[in-house]
Amino acid sequence: MSGKCGLFYTSYRAEAGLFPSRFQKACMAAFMAVLLICPWFLGSYPVSVLNLICIAVIGAVSLNLLTGVCGQISLGHGAFIGVGAYASAWFAGQGLPFAISLPLGGAVAAVIGMFFGIPSLRLKGIYLAIATLAAQLILEYVFLHWEGVTGGPYGLSVDSPVIFGLTLDTDRSMYYLILFCTVLSVLAAANVMRTRPGRAFVAIRDHHLSAEIVGVNLFAVKLQAFGLSSFMAGIAGGLWGHYTMYITPEPFGIGLSVSYLAMIIIGGLGSVLGSVFGAVFITLLPEGLNMVAGSLAGLFPNVSTYFLAMKEGVFGLILVLFLVFEPEGLARRWRLLKSYWKLYPFAY
Amino acid sequence: MKIRILAITCLAVLLCGTVWASEPIKIGLLSDLSGATSSVGRPYADGIKACAEYLNEEGGINGRPIVLDQVDYAYNVQQALAAYKRMKSQGIVALQGWGTGDTEALVKFVAKDEMPTFSASYSAHLTDPNTAPYNFFCAADYSTQARAALKFVRENWKEERAPKLALIYPDAPYGLAPLAAAEAYARELGFEIVGKEIVDLKAMEATTQLLRLQKVAPDYAWVGGTTPSTAVVLKDAQKLKMNVIFITNIWGSDENIFDLAGTAANGHISIQAAKVYGQPCEGMVVIEKLTKGVPQMTHFIRGFVSMLTMAEGLKRAEAAGQLNGPGIKAALESMRDFDPMGLAAPISFYPDDHRPNLAVSLYELRDDKLNFLGEQTLERKKEWLGK
Repeated sequence: MSGKCGLFYTSYRAEAGLFPSRFQKACMAAFMAVLLICPWFLGSYPVSVLNLICIAVIGAVSLNLLTGVCGQISLGHGAFIGVGAYASAWFAGQGLPFAISLPLGGAVAAVIGMFFGIPSLRLKGIYLAIATLAAQLILEYVFLHWEGVTGGPYGLSVDSPVIFGLTLDTDRSMYYLILFCTVLSVLAAANVMRTRPGRAFVAIRDHHLSAEIVGVNLFAVKLQAFGLSSFMAGIAGGLWGHYTMYITPEPFGIGLSVSYLAMIIIGGLGSVLGSVFGAVFITLLPEGLNMVAGSLAGLFPNVSTYFLAMKEGVFGLILVLFLVFEPEGLARRWRLLKSYWKLYPFAY
Repeated sequence: MKIRILAITCLAVLLCGTVWASEPIKIGLLSDLSGATSSVGRPYADGIKACAEYLNEEGGINGRPIVLDQVDYAYNVQQALAAYKRMKSQGIVALQGWGTGDTEALVKFVAKDEMPTFSASYSAHLTDPNTAPYNFFCAADYSTQARAALKFVRENWKEERAPKLALIYPDAPYGLAPLAAAEAYARELGFEIVGKEIVDLKAMEATTQLLRLQKVAPDYAWVGGTTPSTAVVLKDAQKLKMNVIFITNIWGSDENIFDLAGTAANGHISIQAAKVYGQPCEGMVVIEKLTKGVPQMTHFIRGFVSMLTMAEGLKRAEAAGQLNGPGIKAALESMRDFDPMGLAAPISFYPDDHRPNLAVSLYELRDDKLNFLGEQTLERKKEWLGK
């Protein structure tokens, strides 16, 4: 209860509230207000980075539900995002409005995710990771070779979303759409964790035998986790496709899956807030490294050459340092920071 | 008094005009300097930078210097998108891009933003202005390269029987892009296609695939990989004592092939779209001076040609007072047989056809050198556009 010092609950419902204090509600409202007005003060580049961050947040939250909350490791998340992108683009290409094609894309991703989640009843840990890696490889093959639907190696052109006759073809308009979907996804994930299936996810993660003994249907709940996670991944993919307006198989490789795993590990496994932190961190890290390289290029051309070569190494080093020094991720660091200021100037 | 005021006004207008004329022209340069394709991305980017340096020494674009805004996107599509947005917000008028993933992810963005974009992704569909109106490149597309190489080989075939051809490619967008075109044209030319094998871009060995091909004894094998994967194929073929001539795609062999494959590279054919370092031409004199005689890879030369062609478009647009996206696009589309100082085949773009040319240069790999064999130019057929 370190984060809720001074609160007095008279019901379980009140204790399980997402924002238990007025201060938290006010902070969240202010944060949302800033998010809503910031595109009017920011240029195209920061808004596009915000768009990429929001899409990454949806993807990271969805993977955290599956891996962090339910304990089912997935190395195929990048491909599930790809399924959503292709499916949503295909439905839109058939003339369906965006508001229908996006959730349909998510639904297709959910079905595919559940199908590849079937082995999860028998497989755990590293074995399940390899099974989901197989899903990644199979789906990559499908993206590349099912030319009638995916366009094969040449890819698929996607139109900008049209909602109520309004074409969302600018960074700012797309930002509001993506932000809306992100807020919905984050709230959905946070709420799922407070529900019966959400607690069943946690029970399975903590000890599957105990969960089964207390009446959790392992197979059904694991499939629910795969379905829900893949649905949200599909939504992230659909938004990515409609934002970039062109989809090719290349972005949905194993690298994307690993990148999402890195997000939830750095952010904090099992934490919605951690997924957000991780997505922000991983999306901004290359931008930051590029900025440093760019500023060094002006001063020391040779130093920047070596720095660029080291960039991937720096990225890897940061991941290792996180695993060693903060395995619970940025979410825990945030909790510690909040506690520090709550108790300041007293240590205890 | 009036005359003095008039003279001062004229002088002020002239001065303002001079200041305006010397305002730099910003070009975005999206490079892979630290990612998966950095071994070829770096020399290509160096070629672009060397050309900008040369152009600035020669007076820039009608007196206005070129300023390159270079970003290393590490072959990551997401980073490429963010970098493009940043460069656009900083006022670039055109973009020099790089690979397949980023170029295709940006196709619609650059069309919407009216941003003329050159790249080193030579997918045929980027040459169709209906799907990629603002995309350009300076080499024949992958499909044309394969077709032209096959025609060259067929025309030099001396035996009575049909030559036997095998296709070796990675199961990736780059490898698959020209496959259907190459196969169809090979049949049209009278090749007998005897086998198709997949060799991954990161393959460590290709013995299994080559053993299968050895049984059908092809005379030629087209290799659609990159230099490291081609080196694996060549070394394993040498080990198996295969009597076959490999025709390597534009990214399938370069000056590094001799370090990677050693003597196994000898006798095979390399498809290229620009001169190699040291080949005599007007542009090579400039490059040799710029690089102080230090040999550069063929990718460097192609980067140089890409910047040179873009600069020609910029010059024409600037002269017409239309130095903006549509103006540069129109200027490029008015280009007919532009000679990039002899470094590559003449380049023409049309409003309905962005194929720069249909010519490839063929080199024989031998004794640590790419030895010029000849150039093959195909007819500009409408039905091949974008395919």
